[in-house]
Amino acid sequence: MKLKNLSIAGLRRGANNHRCISRKLGSYPYVALVMCLLMTTVFVQAEQDRDYMAVVNRPNLFHLLDLEDRRIVRTCELPASVAPGTVVMSPDKSVAYILGGRFDRLYGIAINGCELVFDAQFSQGNVRNKSIASLAVSRDGSELYSIHNPVTIMNDHYQVSSPKFVVYSATDGIDAKPVRSYPAPRQVNILATGHDGQVYLSGPDVYAFDPKTGETSVAIASRNAQREGYGQPDILTVWPLGSVNEEFLRMYSVPKFSQPGAEPELLWGYERVDLVTGETSVKDFGPLEEVLFTGMLRPHHPDEFYGVLTQLKRHRVSTQSVIQGVDLERTYYCINFSTDGSTIYLGGTYNDIAIYDADTLESQGKIVLPGGDMSMSTPQVFSALPTLVGDTEG
Amino acid sequence: MKHLKPINKKAQLVDSAMQSTLSPTDELNEVVAMQTVVGCTGTTDPGWEVDAFGGVAGLCQPMESDLYGCADPCWWPAQVPDIMNTYPDWDKGAGSAGQDWRKLGEVFPGDKK
Repeated sequence: MKLKNLSIAGLRRGANNHRCISRKLGSYPYVALVMCLLMTTVFVQAEQDRDYMAVVNRPNLFHLLDLEDRRIVRTCELPASVAPGTVVMSPDKSVAYILGGRFDRLYGIAINGCELVFDAQFSQGNVRNKSIASLAVSRDGSELYSIHNPVTIMNDHYQVSSPKFVVYSATDGIDAKPVRSYPAPRQVNILATGHDGQVYLSGPDVYAFDPKTGETSVAIASRNAQREGYGQPDILTVWPLGSVNEEFLRMYSVPKFSQPGAEPELLWGYERVDLVTGETSVKDFGPLEEVLFTGMLRPHHPDEFYGVLTQLKRHRVSTQSVIQGVDLERTYYCINFSTDGSTIYLGGTYNDIAIYDADTLESQGKIVLPGGDMSMSTPQVFSALPTLVGDTEG
Repeated sequence: MKHLKPINKKAQLVDSAMQSTLSPTDELNEVVAMQTVVGCTGTTDPGWEVDAFGGVAGLCQPMESDLYGCADPCWWPAQVPDIMNTYPDWDKGAGSAGQDWRKLGEVFPGDKK
């Protein structure tokens, strides 16, 4: 049973009942204790957090889903396009931040209703600032981070400028402007914030970026990796998944040579940053049999890695083997897990969230979203109290 | 390069530029890929024809499920309009690529906003 995130009110009610029953059953302390525990359990269950999903789809819709009851809690309309649809939750789970507006607008929506609480337009004047799925939130929720890739539209040519790491204040609300910016590495896409405040950037290498000073260092060498016997890894990601595991992770495919000139073995692997400790790891997890777009370690099962595109595959990391694989009804770009690791949620491309059992890979149904395609959006799973998200049926 | 000889003016310029790099005081600027695609012209992936293994089993299925995921980030430039920058309304009224693909038409320069 999950006991975290219990509401203060629920605990207070439980404690008051405990005192009341003790007075009445003072000569039967064990009976009183058992009854109080039972009642406390009832209150704990009533106030327990549950898994939700925040996701966007065409043309301009945001959805909050209750994953336990598999229903749509609410659907909100955003001011404009939701592409690329990169969603990142605020640390307290009250606000969903969405990179949209055809890659140059950042929305914040209070998920207990549909109020737009943040809106920043990246492009200004003749300077076009696109951002390729670059979005993260500081650990205290006060700042939002993105990467701007400026191009000045001149009369007869485009002038490409260096990318910038841009910081917004979350309290600046509508028509927010950057509060500071720093030079950033080139070709950066997804971001994630570590518990120590460092922001991890996915680029040619994985960088650790200090959002207070702009100082950049290489956290994981990738393009510049020197792994003996390995060729250069190939990486595709525009999906900042992994918040359920507190991890920043991207998959790679790589050729591995037993000796120079030999036919290489083609492998899947992952580069990972533990966002709690800052520890990094690079591990091969299985043979390259099919193309996969996203993957995650299964929560509470660190030796199991799942990946998806048109197949859903389960790997054992320690033996670099495929445990199981199933062909899907169609392609899904994105994988995610319930916080307890028992259930898989697949999203992206069309407009349904497919649900699979993580042990058997058997289909458990779908949640069909009103509206059009999710396209390349990033569905985020998180745990929260129903009262926090305004879920009256939760 | 020593076996290639320039036969037109542009090639001669390239050749002389290459020669100039031999001087430590006159180096060429580094040539780097653009940070983002502009006008959907910077990406050269092959498209929906063939997968990484030379077959089709690795392609997204059906093709329509992959259409907006590739069009939105300007992934495959030759096959769809630049929906990120130049033709943002190309998909207007066609929220589902699988059901509404007949509404996705051609674009022409005059259609640009």
